[in-house]
Amino acid sequence: MISTKVYTPDQVAEILQLSSNTVYDLIKRGEILAKRIGNVYRIPANSISFALTGLDYDLYLAEKEDKKNITAIEDALSVARTQL
Amino acid sequence: MKVFVDSDVVISSLISNTGAASELINNLDIKKIISNLSIKESEIVKLRLNINKPLPMLETIVIDNVKKYSTYSIDPNDAHIVAGADQAKVRFLITYNLKHYKIDKIKRDLNIIIMTPGMFLQYLRLSDKID
Repeated sequence: MISTKVYTPDQVAEILQLSSNTVYDLIKRGEILAKRIGNVYRIPANSISFALTGLDYDLYLAEKEDKKNITAIEDALSVARTQL
Repeated sequence: MKVFVDSDVVISSLISNTGAASELINNLDIKKIISNLSIKESEIVKLRLNINKPLPMLETIVIDNVKKYSTYSIDPNDAHIVAGADQAKVRFLITYNLKHYKIDKIKRDLNIIIMTPGMFLQYLRLSDKID
């Protein structure tokens, strides 16, 4: 499924603690991938995944997938470890 | 590259084949090691969670002197994982349970780095780019 989550340059500036001008510079230099729609830019979440999470977007999603079940797994492991 | 994998990663890889744990376990370039105790507890967890798949075939070591490692985890029952990583002589322990291990002490005393599966796969990607 296509991820529809996108940010404006101002939102990205706030998230990354940068000025809006810096974000526009990063877009121009290709360091942040953005889509120009008319006169505005929209930045897909996967473009800033690494800056936000330290993970490429596919790895971020893969970890998120595992974390759906991790509480149940850790709980079961805690019990199992008392039985070793 | 060889790593010791915590049982939560092994179990995660059985539950989802699109998660980071599965990607790690199925990556043939990474040598994954578990211990005899990891297998025992994973079988117990499989029963509790009604998982019918077999455990992946991974290199298994027999660990001893687990008590020596009891100061490396918040819960002493987790110590056998640290023992396994140390006795397997790996540089990386892969787990989702970062909060339960004394990461700095393990790095300082045993020179073992603790990462989640995704963090480790990312590390490999970045290492490839640097090389």
